[in-house]
Formats: sequence, structure tokens, C-alpha cells
Amino acid sequence: MSIPQEPSRPPRREFLRTTALAAGGALTGSSIAAAQHSGHAMDGGGRGMKGHNGMSPELPKPIGDPSLGRPTGVQDEYDGFRRFAPSRGNSPDSDYYLGKLVPGLRDPSAGRAPFVAPDITSLPYEMKGGVKEFHLRATPVEAEFLPGYKMNVYGYNGSMPGPTIEVTQGDRVRIVAKNELPEPTSMHWHGFELPVQWDGASELTQNLIEPGETFVYEFDIHEEGTFFYHSHIPMQEAFGMVGWFIVHPKKDWDPPVDRDFGLIFQNFAIEPGQTVSDSWAMDWSWHTINGRSGPFNSPLVVKHGERVRIRILNFSPMQHHPIHLHGHTFWVTGHEGARIPKSAWIPRNTELIAVAQASDFEFIANNPGDWMMHCHMVHHMMNHMTEQVGPRVRPHQSVDAYLANLDRSPGVSSQNSDPGFAVPGYPQKMKGMSMDMMMSDRIVGRRETLGMRADWPMAIMGLMLAVRVLPEDLYHLVMETDEPVEPGSVFTEIVRRFGDPSVYHPAMKMSHG
Amino acid sequence: MTAQELVAPPRAPIPPEAAKAFTNPPAIPTVPGPELRIDTPRDGEFAPSSYTLNELLRLTGQNNPTLRQAQLHISAELGKAQQAGLYPNPVFSYEAEQIGVDVEGNKDSPGEFQGGVLEQRFVTAGKLRLSREKYLRRAHVSEHLATVQQFRVCNDVRLHFYRALAAGETLAIRRELLKSSEDAAVTAQEAYNMGQVRRPEVRRANVTLQRARLSVMRAENAQRESFRRLTALVGVALKEGAVEGSLTPEREATSFESELGRLLAESPEVAAARAKLAVDRATVERERVEWVPDLVARGGAGYNFEAGETVAVAGLSLELPIYDRNQGTIRQARADYARQQQELRRIELRLRNRLAMTYEQYLSSLQHAYEYERVILPESKAAYAELLESYKRDRVDWPEVLMAQHDYFDAKLVQVDNLLEARTHEVLIAGYLLHDGLMAAEGSTPAGHIDATPRPR
Ligand SMILES: [Cu+2]
Repeated sequence: MSIPQEPSRPPRREFLRTTALAAGGALTGSSIAAAQHSGHAMDGGGRGMKGHNGMSPELPKPIGDPSLGRPTGVQDEYDGFRRFAPSRGNSPDSDYYLGKLVPGLRDPSAGRAPFVAPDITSLPYEMKGGVKEFHLRATPVEAEFLPGYKMNVYGYNGSMPGPTIEVTQGDRVRIVAKNELPEPTSMHWHGFELPVQWDGASELTQNLIEPGETFVYEFDIHEEGTFFYHSHIPMQEAFGMVGWFIVHPKKDWDPPVDRDFGLIFQNFAIEPGQTVSDSWAMDWSWHTINGRSGPFNSPLVVKHGERVRIRILNFSPMQHHPIHLHGHTFWVTGHEGARIPKSAWIPRNTELIAVAQASDFEFIANNPGDWMMHCHMVHHMMNHMTEQVGPRVRPHQSVDAYLANLDRSPGVSSQNSDPGFAVPGYPQKMKGMSMDMMMSDRIVGRRETLGMRADWPMAIMGLMLAVRVLPEDLYHLVMETDEPVEPGSVFTEIVRRFGDPSVYHPAMKMSHG
Repeated sequence: MTAQELVAPPRAPIPPEAAKAFTNPPAIPTVPGPELRIDTPRDGEFAPSSYTLNELLRLTGQNNPTLRQAQLHISAELGKAQQAGLYPNPVFSYEAEQIGVDVEGNKDSPGEFQGGVLEQRFVTAGKLRLSREKYLRRAHVSEHLATVQQFRVCNDVRLHFYRALAAGETLAIRRELLKSSEDAAVTAQEAYNMGQVRRPEVRRANVTLQRARLSVMRAENAQRESFRRLTALVGVALKEGAVEGSLTPEREATSFESELGRLLAESPEVAAARAKLAVDRATVERERVEWVPDLVARGGAGYNFEAGETVAVAGLSLELPIYDRNQGTIRQARADYARQQQELRRIELRLRNRLAMTYEQYLSSLQHAYEYERVILPESKAAYAELLESYKRDRVDWPEVLMAQHDYFDAKLVQVDNLLEARTHEVLIAGYLLHDGLMAAEGSTPAGHIDATPRPR
């Protein structure tokens, strides 16, 4: 039974602390999260656990060279805004307020920063008579949402989302679209002001592309900005048929950025034991960013002080996504229609992106660390949510006992004996997450993830990903060398340099394997 | 007072302030108390012994009273055959004739004749042989009826053996289903605490749980009942225990026509009816010679007091079949014979009728048992396993797993019924549709009485 609320003593916190102690659970700290951890979430984890039992945990040895942490000759302060420390600036009316027009570190003579859509390939083209010719094939796709979870969807050239088309304002493009699906399709060039016959709105402007048939689209591009292409059959849209169509401006946008990322957010409804997405569904159980679910999607790794652009397209069938970035305030500098005039830029922590909308964010990465970027809708922060009842919330019970003999149920004691059930609403933290898959090398072994806290994959699910802001030397260590990097070492190093290592506890799970 | 008012409304513990502040979910009901467990053996009393079918059949052969009855019917008929063939005894008589007749001197004499006479009936036309044959044939009928009885008893033991076997398996599955309901009740409590179900749903889970508990108790009762009935058939008190065997049918299933052919060719009931026809034929034979007169000869010696010397007497008698040539009884016997021919036909038709019903149930249950084995059980088991795997990977809710678990156990329960039905009808078809092993053994004539005729023919 819950305790009536008293302002002086938060009841839930008190309860969890005392019951966890009473149950013999050892605490690394007094935080709620730690108490819940020791209770259940880490059950059976055991492997390589250190820093437990209330003893002062040992931090990994210092790494990198802090003295190299900052490129030389870089302007740090702009009208009170600091490139290398969280700051706002002196006046909201200043061009440099919140880093608004602070240029990137990039040498302008090196040209604009490349556009990077992690986990998605770029579509090559051939110049033919002054026309950029691209070849797109509409195909069924087996997309691996998580390691070992191969889902059946549609896409382009064997990829979901399809490969990225990149052009420059003023180009003439020819897209040879072949339909390798077992059903008709059509291609729509979302946002372009092109001659109507190439718009791809099936039947209204053209005949459908029948299976095996090819249709050639050709048009001039006078726009610049964040666009995309997709099938114009609604169920095919819901089934994954989309891709980036990035048009770089003839004259580079100002101020120049060091990073230009693109993320496509999608939802799918895939039942347990199914690999086919139900595009008729009204509720959505799987969430992908660039075709992968958290934590299999790639963290965005940037250097401390860089100017970063992130373009996000919400191509979910039905649901909008309030996208929230931790640790930074970003400027909304564009939507899929066009770049926004600077006078209309808005600083935000969370931007609601509706279905079929894209938003461009820009910010100075002045706060080192591993930062969460995610849709804030609770049910989008994990895949296939399940009710927290059954063996996973019962002491001394496991599904394996049921699986061991399907003809003899292990049975259940007549009441859940977990003292937590004296609190209405317990548990709210998902229990029984399978760690093994999360700790697979395909997730924690990727370069972009090296040195993150050991159990970071437990935090990244559904429409979530990490934005890693690393000092120069640590960026070099992670992204440009093959030196071994201990789990947690990069994060600890950032704490050591920018935080308070004396009160820092490393992850309970210190290694994987 | 109306009938409806006679049923007292149940007490319903409705919390007065439900859903205004957190109230605990309705409690999981307790298990039924000892006052409802009067027939449950207490710990230690239940000696787990187990019996095989062959062992029980052997015990039955020694102890079922109807099998002895059947043997005694044969003995009785053999006794009649013996009696009917016995030659008539000679009759000795002492005769005194004309007592008081005058002799010389006007003096009364003790008689003209005083002496002993021996009379003997000479049976003609093989009447005794025919009578004996008739009763020997009746004994033959009784032998077939003894076979009938043996099938009745053994089939019934088999049927009840399989019933006991099925009752044991049903009980085991019912206990698994109970665990499923217990889990559902606990799950409902958990879900209530999570705000995912409401009080009525918790109560519904409680009701389901209690019904599952009652089902287990009923299954326990049924198991004891089946064993007790089995014991009654075996005819000896057995220590309560389990039976060992397999419910899986063993016989190769064949077509209705071939089963009917076998039944009509081999059924001991048909054989008994045929033998009875032979008895009736013999009866006709016997009655046809009944009118042939026996010869009764007599002779003796005595003293003639008149003549004052020893004399002899002799006589011969013969019934003259002028009016009674036994025509009525011959007619009756012929009618009986003809009636028995119709009886044979009737029995065959009745077997066909019963086989039609039994065969249909046999076939349906076999089809069910095979398809449950081949498809339905593996499929529901796989569904359960797949949902368990999904739950393990956090992809499905536990109530869905429980539903699949319940469905699987429920299918197993149905399969026990399928197998039992298939086995039951297999036993009946293999055993010439005979059962009911505590019915008194039939004789060739109404049971339990000596033929009223002192001198059977
Ligand atoms: Cu969302």
C-alpha cells in the first residue's frame, strides 16, 4: 500500500530504498535507478560486474591527451557565447546567441561538410549529356532492425530506407525507376516544384509502374534543402518505401557546418513471431532510425566545438514525433520546404515533427558527453512494449522453467511475493530485458560506440540514439585509430575533464563478452 | 414465495468506496476445506500400487461370479441330458388275486393267485437317445453362452481399465490446468496493481481458479469411482491404486463390412443361437417319435391256491395311438424351431444395428485421436512454445501465453477423451459388442430354475 504523500519525505523514493535494503539488495548509490537495478533489471547479468557491494569503484585509467583537446587558433567566445562550454551569450538579439551564427571549425576552402545518413548508402549517378542519371529499383527488403531481427518490408535497391540521392541546386536529374515489386508502384518526389507529369501521383499524373516495368523521371531542380522520395501507394509508404533526396544549395548556407547528418524516423507494427510489418495497423510496435532500432542505430559522433546539422524526417505512417536533444539547445533552421530565414530560426530542446515533415537542427556541440536524442513519446522509446506481469516480475521465476517442459508447468506461488507489489503501480520500469542481444558485438563493438558506458545499450531503444560530443583527442582515439578502447573509458575521461570524477560510479556491467 | 426467492442471493463483498482510493484487489480464494475432502485418502493411507490389464483379467477369471454361473449352467444341462437318457426302471409288484374264492369244503382260500410280478417298459423309437441328444445340445448352447459371458466380463474389465487409465491422465492434466488458472489469478493481481485490469476482471480470474479447483476434485472423484467400479468387476477387493497401460488404440482399423462379416461369423451370441436351433431341431425329432408306443412287458410267478400249485403270469401292453399321436406338441416344436430361425435372423440384425452405432463412434474417435496426435496437439504445443519464447524476448504479454498454455492443456484433455472413446469402441468391436460383466450369466432356458418336469424329455 502506498503512503500518503508528505512533502518532506518523497514516499516512493523512501520505499524503494528501504525495501531494497531489506531484501538484501546491495546498493552502489542511493538513487532510485540503482535500487531498481539491484532489484531486478540486472538479474542474471553477473558477468564481469565490478564496482558493486558499496565499495568505492575503480575508474578506468585516464586516456587521451587533454592538452590536445582543442584545435589551435579557434575562436572560443562570440559575444558571450562559448564554443567549448555550455553558454547562451550576452543577448538574445545577438547573432551569436546560443551559437546561432557561430561558424563551424571547418576550413571553408575544403568545401561544405559531407551529408551523412548513418547506416544508409548513397546512390551513385552517371553524368549523361549534362544530366545526373540515377537508377532506383523498388524492391522487397529484408531489413535487420536489430541484430538477428530481420524484418520484411519494401524499399529501394535492397535497402530500407532507400539509398540517398544527393544533388546540387540547378542540376537536371533523370531517375530511371524500375519496379521489381510484385505489384504496381509509383515514385513521388516529395516537395519538388517539378512539371506535373513527373510528380508521380499515380493515376492523377501518370500510369502506375507495373511489376517489371521501368519509368523514367527527368526534371530540373531549382530548389535547395531537405527533400525525400517515396512510393505514392499509401501501404507501400507504411511498408518502408522512402529515401532522402538532399539538394545542396548552389551557394553554401551560412554559417558553414562541420557535420550534416540525416535521420529518417519510421514506425512499424510487427507482431511477436512475425517478420512482416502490418501496414494496416493503427498501433506501431517497432521503431527505426535509418532502418535500425535502438541500440543498433549508430550514434552520431562529433568533435567538441563543432557546428552540427541534423536533419530529421518523420516518415512514420501515423504518428508524430516530438524530438528531444539532451544537453544542448538547437536552432530550427529549416523544414522540408526550405531553409528558414535566420530571423525566423527558433531555439528549442524539443521539436515536434509531424508525419512527412522534416526539420533541420543546428547547434554548436559545446557540451562534451554522450547525449540522448529521442522521440519523447513514451511508447516510442522502446520496441514492442509488454505488460509487466508474469514470471518476469516474480521472484525466483523464469520463463526457462516453463520452456524446459511444456507439459508440466512449474506452477506459481499463490501471490506475487515481491514486496514491491505493496505499492500500487509497481513496477513501472521494464523488467527482464534480454541483455545478451544488447551486448552483442554488432552493437557494442562498433567504432561509433567505443568507450561508452558499459550498459549503454539498455538505455537506447526504439526512436532513440546517442549524440557523442568528444574532445579532439578522444574523437581521434575512437574514430581514427584502432587502439583498444575499454568500455566506459571515454565517458569516464569526459567526466574526469568536465565533471566530478569523485562522485562518479561507472556502469555496473563493466564488460561484455 | 416464488421459486426464485427460494434461492438465497449470494453474499457479495462490494467495497463501499471502490475506486475512490486504492483498494487491494479481491483476494485469491482459498482452497476448499477438509469438510469437502471426506473421500480423499489422508497421507499414508494411499498405498500406491499399480495394476496391469493382464493381471486384472487373471484376477477376474478367478473371482467374477458370473463366470462360475456360466459354468454351472453347462453342468445343469449336462445333468438334464444324463437324466433324460436314463432307461426306465423295472417295476416289481406283488399281486394277490381272487382272495376269498371258495375251495372244496366251502372254505375261503387266500386267493387264486399270490405272487410277484416284474414289469418292464421297453422304450421304442430311440426316445431316450433323442432326449439325451436334445439336452446335450442344450449344454452346447450353454457353452456358447459361457463364452458370451466371458466376453462380457473381460470386455467390461478392459473398458473400465481404460476408463481408470483415462481418469488418471485426465486428473494429471486437470492439475496442470489448475496451475494455469492459479497463474492467471496471480497475473490478475499483478495486472490490477499495474492499473491494467479492474476488480471485476480479478474476480473473474478468481472464479475461473475456483472452477479449476472443483474440476480437479471432480477428476479425483472420477478416478476413485473408476477404480472402484473396476474392482467390482474383478470381483475381489483391490487396494486402491493406479493402472498401467496405454490408451493408444492397437488394432488395425478395417471397413464396416469386414467388421460386420467377422462379427456375424464369430460372435458367440450367433453361435449360441445356432446351437439353440439345433436344440429345437432335436426337439422336433424327439416329439415326432413320442407317439411310437413303448412295449410294457410283465411276468411273474406265484402260487395258485385253487390249483394248489405254482403258476406264472405274463402280460404285454401297448398304447394304441388312435387319437393322440402327439400331433399338437410336434406342431409346437416345429413352431419353436421356426421361431428360432427368426431369432437367429433377429440376433444378426440386432448385431448389425449395434455395430453401426459402435462403428461410427469408433471411426469418429479414431479420426479425432489421429488428427489430434498428428496436427492439433503439436500445433497447440508449438503455439504455446512460440509465445513463451516471445515472452522471454519481451515481445508478448503473459496473459496471451497463459491462454495458449490453457488451450494446449485443454486439447490434451480432449485427446484423452478421444483415445478413451477409440479404445472403448475398439474393445467392443474386437469383443463382439459384448459388455456388462455383472449381468447374471444366461442359460439356455430362463436362469436359475430346474426344469419343472421331473422326467425331462
Ligand atoms: Cu514518437
